[in-house]
Amino acid sequence: MKKRDDVLVGIVMALAIIVAIVGSLWLARGGLSKGYALYAKFPWSSGLKQGQPVLLAGVNVGYVDQVELRQDGTVLTTFRVGKSYKVPQGTVATVIPNGIFGDMAIALTPKRPTPLSIPENDTIPVGPSSPGIAELTSKGDSIATSVNAITTALQKELVASGGVADLRKTLASSNALMLNMNKLVSEFSAVAAEQNRQLTLTQASLRRATSGVDSAKIDSTLKNVRATSENFAILSADFQKTSAKLDSVIAKANNGPGSVGLALNDPGAYNDVRALIQHMDSIMVDLKKNPRRYINLRIF
Amino acid sequence: MRNIGVDSVPLAAIVAAFIGAVTAFQTRYQLFGGVQLSVVGLISRQSIILELGPLLTGLVLTGRVGARITAEIGTMRVTEQIDALETLAYDPIGYLVVPRLLAAIIMVPMLTILANAIGVGTAFLTAILATDVSASAFSEGLRLAFSPFQIIYSIIKATIFGAAIAFFCSYEGYNTTAGAEGVGRSTAQAVVITSVAILVLDALTALLLAPYLQA
Repeated sequence: MKKRDDVLVGIVMALAIIVAIVGSLWLARGGLSKGYALYAKFPWSSGLKQGQPVLLAGVNVGYVDQVELRQDGTVLTTFRVGKSYKVPQGTVATVIPNGIFGDMAIALTPKRPTPLSIPENDTIPVGPSSPGIAELTSKGDSIATSVNAITTALQKELVASGGVADLRKTLASSNALMLNMNKLVSEFSAVAAEQNRQLTLTQASLRRATSGVDSAKIDSTLKNVRATSENFAILSADFQKTSAKLDSVIAKANNGPGSVGLALNDPGAYNDVRALIQHMDSIMVDLKKNPRRYINLRIF
Repeated sequence: MRNIGVDSVPLAAIVAAFIGAVTAFQTRYQLFGGVQLSVVGLISRQSIILELGPLLTGLVLTGRVGARITAEIGTMRVTEQIDALETLAYDPIGYLVVPRLLAAIIMVPMLTILANAIGVGTAFLTAILATDVSASAFSEGLRLAFSPFQIIYSIIKATIFGAAIAFFCSYEGYNTTAGAEGVGRSTAQAVVITSVAILVLDALTALLLAPYLQA
């Protein structure tokens, strides 16, 4: 009986230990096989930690094995991929949010299907990280803050400082203005109708006057106008001839060697005339002063 | 160890199975729209391994094992068997309490591990059979952000609870007085004190060790 108890206790303990070990391995690695190691250098604050899943084109193929913080601003991440999975060459590793609780995962994204695969212990290039829940929440928070600020400003401008009341007044004034404009438009319409009626009457009168015009008289008038125009053309030609002759006379007077030309253009003649006038002025002055020198009037 | 561990397996298994099923079921129907269904696996695992597995196993064993320990030792006390041991120069603590304490410290974690496994297993079956959660989604949630320390955390809790069960129940039994009525009173008092002690220790353990779960 004692031996049987020991066996049962041993069985229960062994079962519990096996369950604990196998369960932990399955939960942590997805199986008993450890898989092969690959590396990637992500920037700080990527949010990775041990045990997080590794997705190859969306399929869970491994887990994050180790995260080593480096002083160069990177986190050297060792992750293990199941031996049944091959990572195609040209694959890029990125950190993506996994679920809505801020958990992260490594996403391996192949550029194209290829039979060539990345060997064990190789380093996979890193692509741009997707924004996480925290980042999106932060952006949402900043947007909410901005909206709140705008709402506060609107509250201040429109409610606290009486902007809404002003707006209502403006709307009331606009309504009154619209009413006045409607009235004005109706008045304009009446005026336009009256003008239209007057215009119609004027057109009718004009039509009547046009029908009463004598065409023979108009024809004779036009003939007279035409004759007058011809005479005016002849007169204009004569005038041009006269003008040409006058131009030639003036040109001769200006440039010619005749007495008129010399009188107009010779500065000597001008000076002589000016000296003569001055001389005559002096004679007139002297005459006024001493008239008896020039006028000797003797009656007896 | 046979009495504390092996004979308690069916009870612990039944409790864990129903707790796992209810946890998965409730979790699924508490999710609001848009949440991925793998969350059911994640919450079931975290609830069962970190809290419900060790706590409910400890409380169940308090009723089944602790009461028995108190009754045994209390009866020995009121029938003067302990006095006889002392007369024969046996240390009654070493002879009666220490083996039970060791058995509880060893077997309660084992039972907790089995309870965790059974609870997660029934949660898995319930989720895929009774709800719209797929097996792959539940497995993905089960493995999400898992660290082996979670298992260790559960075992540490179970060890503390096992020690508490053996210690408080042995103490009450050892100090039993006033005949058969005193045995009954000590047994009831032991169950109550141990249950409260387990809850307090559970809170203290969480306060001390939960920060390491985030690493």
